[in-house]
Amino acid sequence: MAHAAGTLASGPRLLVATHLEGCAACRAALRGFEDVGAQLMLDEAGLAPAPDALAATLERLDAPLAPPVAPVVTRRPPLPGTLEWPRSLRHCRISRWRPLGPGMRWSRVGLPFDRSANVFLLRIAAGSCLPPHTHRGEELTQVLFGAFDDGRAVFGPGDFDATDSTIRHQPVVQASSECICLAAVDGRLVHESRLARWLGALIGI
Amino acid sequence: MTLLPVDGFAAPAPGRDDGRAPRLRLVTGSPDAASPPLEHFDALLLAVARDEDRAAFAQLFDHFAPRLKGWLVRTGSTPELADDLVQDAFVLLWRKAAQFDPARARVSAWLFTIARNLRVDRHRGWSETWLSLDAGAADMVPDDAPGADARLAAARSGAGVRSALTQLSSDHRTLVQLAFYEDKSHSDIARETGLPLGTVKTRLRAAATRLRQLLEEYRS
Repeated sequence: MAHAAGTLASGPRLLVATHLEGCAACRAALRGFEDVGAQLMLDEAGLAPAPDALAATLERLDAPLAPPVAPVVTRRPPLPGTLEWPRSLRHCRISRWRPLGPGMRWSRVGLPFDRSANVFLLRIAAGSCLPPHTHRGEELTQVLFGAFDDGRAVFGPGDFDATDSTIRHQPVVQASSECICLAAVDGRLVHESRLARWLGALIGI
Repeated sequence: MTLLPVDGFAAPAPGRDDGRAPRLRLVTGSPDAASPPLEHFDALLLAVARDEDRAAFAQLFDHFAPRLKGWLVRTGSTPELADDLVQDAFVLLWRKAAQFDPARARVSAWLFTIARNLRVDRHRGWSETWLSLDAGAADMVPDDAPGADARLAAARSGAGVRSALTQLSSDHRTLVQLAFYEDKSHSDIARETGLPLGTVKTRLRAAATRLRQLLEEYRS
C-alpha cells in the first residue's frame, strides 16, 4: 500500500520493486491499491492548475526527447548459475563480493539517487547458518537464489520477508545450494565501515 | 495525532475537532456525479495514441489536471511543485499513450501511477530525462497474473473500488488514509497515536489485507 502511495523510502522501495518483478500476485495487489489511489485522486475537489498550464504542456509535446542520461552499470560481481540481476538493480552500483565470515560474503548495493539507503546482498554458503539475532529496525529481505529456513518458514527464490525487532531468528541456508539475498535495513548508515560493522554484529564476528 | 480532515484542505474548523477518526470522503458518490463515465476518458486517450489528437488530450487535461493537482497538494507537494508534476505527468501521458491498454488499467490509474512515480523521482533529485526512462520499473513488467485483464471489469465505473473502501471498518479506512494521505513512517504513527510499533504494523497490514480481499471480491 505504501508502495502504491509512493511513500516508501528508497531502500524498501527498491526491495519491493525487486519482489514485484517476480511476483504476479503482488503486482495484482499493487494495481488494486493503485486503483484505490486513483479513486482518491478522482474524489478530490480539485485545485485549478496554473492558468497557462495546458498551453505550456501542449507546447512541450513536440519537444524532442533528450538523450538518456541514466548511468548504465556494466561492472558487476559474478552470480552463480543462470541467475540474472533483477531489472530493478540496473542503475545500482554493486560492489565485489567481500568476505564477512566463514562461508559468508556480502556486497554493497549503491542507489544512484540515495547514497544513504542501506541496501546490500548477502551470500551464504550451502548449509551455513547465521547466529540467532534480532534487528534494530525494520529489515526487508528478498531471496534471489537458493533458500533458507529460519524456523518460521522456508524462504526460496522470489520470497519476500519483513523482520523487525520483534523477531529473533536464525536463518539456516539449505544444504542443496548457496543462498543470495537482497536486503534493506532501516536507518541512515552512511559509511561503508559502519554497514560492515553492523553486518559483522549481525553475523557475530 | 493530527489528521488531515478529509473534506477540506485546511485545518479543522473550530468545533469540528471532536477527536473522531477522520473519514474518507468517498462514501456517497463522486463529487461531480454529472461527469462522463471513465470509459469516455479511456477513449480519449486511445484517440491520443491513434491520432495524436490534441483536442482529446486537452479534454483529458481539463478533467484530470485539477484533481491530480488537488491530490498532490493534499499529499504534501507545494502548489508550485504540483503544477510542475502535473505538466510532467501529462507530457508522459502523451508520450506513453501508445502503451495504454484500457483492458489493463483505467486512464485515471495510469495517470495516478505516472504522477506518483514522477514525484518519487523528483524527491530523489533525478533529472527529467532520466525520469521518463525509468518511471516505475515494475510497471514495465508484463502482467500475466490470472485475471489481470479482468482487474477492472468490476471497477470500470469506479464503483468496485468505491464499494470496497466503504465496506472497510472506519479504523481500517483511517489507516488506508494514513498510507495514502500522510507521509508518515510507521514509527511516526506509533509515536503520535501512542500505540506500540508492532500494533501499528499489524493493523496496517490487516487493513491492507482486508482492502485487498474486498477489491478481489469486486473483480471476481
